[in-house]
Amino acid sequence: MESELPTFKEKNPQLEVVTELIRGQHPHLKGFYKNKNERVVCVKNMTPEDILLYATRLRNALGRKVVKLRTRHVTKHPSVQGTWTTDVKF
Amino acid sequence: MAHRRCLHSALLHATALISLKKSPSLSIVKALTSKPNPGITTSNLEPSWFIPWSYIRHFSSRKSDDSENEAEMEESSDGEGESDEMASDMVRDYSPEEKEAEAAAIGYKVVGPLQRSDRVFKDYEPVFAVVQIGSHQFKVSNGDSIFTERLKFCEVNDKLILNKVLLLGSPTQTIIGRPILPDAAVHAVVEEHALDAKVIIFKKKRRKNYRRTKGHRQELTKLRITAIQGIEKPEIKTDGKPLKAAVKKPEKIAATA
Repeated sequence: MESELPTFKEKNPQLEVVTELIRGQHPHLKGFYKNKNERVVCVKNMTPEDILLYATRLRNALGRKVVKLRTRHVTKHPSVQGTWTTDVKF
Repeated sequence: MAHRRCLHSALLHATALISLKKSPSLSIVKALTSKPNPGITTSNLEPSWFIPWSYIRHFSSRKSDDSENEAEMEESSDGEGESDEMASDMVRDYSPEEKEAEAAAIGYKVVGPLQRSDRVFKDYEPVFAVVQIGSHQFKVSNGDSIFTERLKFCEVNDKLILNKVLLLGSPTQTIIGRPILPDAAVHAVVEEHALDAKVIIFKKKRRKNYRRTKGHRQELTKLRITAIQGIEKPEIKTDGKPLKAAVKKPEKIAATA
């Protein structure tokens, strides 16, 4: 982990990376998102490469709740040329 | 004529194999050398054609496979080496940028440079496009967000250009591509690379003592569409309500016409 941290910090200057030594608890990664959401990943018994992978995943993700997607296409204006009804004739 | 050509090729294969002196196919070679001769001499009689022809076909197919494989091995050993390297490179990083560009072309996206302090997010424009990414197609407008399979070679906050556009539409005009429109482009920005919610795959066969549980999280990419190019956009200025009414009228006229 110590070997990967400096490169991770340099790649993400917009992030504030803080390391703390916590006694009596498993080591974990905590991600604080802009929507006041916290995501915690336990990294007990993980190799540095795996920890880097999880850290990059936390960095790549938004802070939204992990819920099954309703639709793959989210839009506010579903129709451009007018919604079709049975009265429409071309 | 076609029969003679095929026989000729079969003979060539036979002669090639004889020259290579492969032991397992010697018996087959002998059979081949015996069979085509009666085939050539009795070309007038059709039934006698077919019986040796079928045998020849079997052997020639095997032989052609072998000889083709041998030829491919000799000639395109570099290609296979490259394919092996490509297969191993799938796991490792794509170091050559050309390969990245090729893979991006397969996924119908071109990665542009990163964006910082650039006004990419415009107001809604009444233009839509049908765009294809991988094997999925989406009807997309300005400001939409789309979830696709994980796109390689692009980080968060990257600009993408989706070049496989199948249809462009506006309230007054529709442009249909056959199958794609060459001049159209859809600009998008990568919002996030995230994992989907966990799906538990549970398999059970009753009364057979068989039960399996597997968890799966699909890797997704969220794209936000910023601009659509390739179609004339109806000019709508800043006013809200009166222009909404004006826009609705041409829509209805177009619909009813």
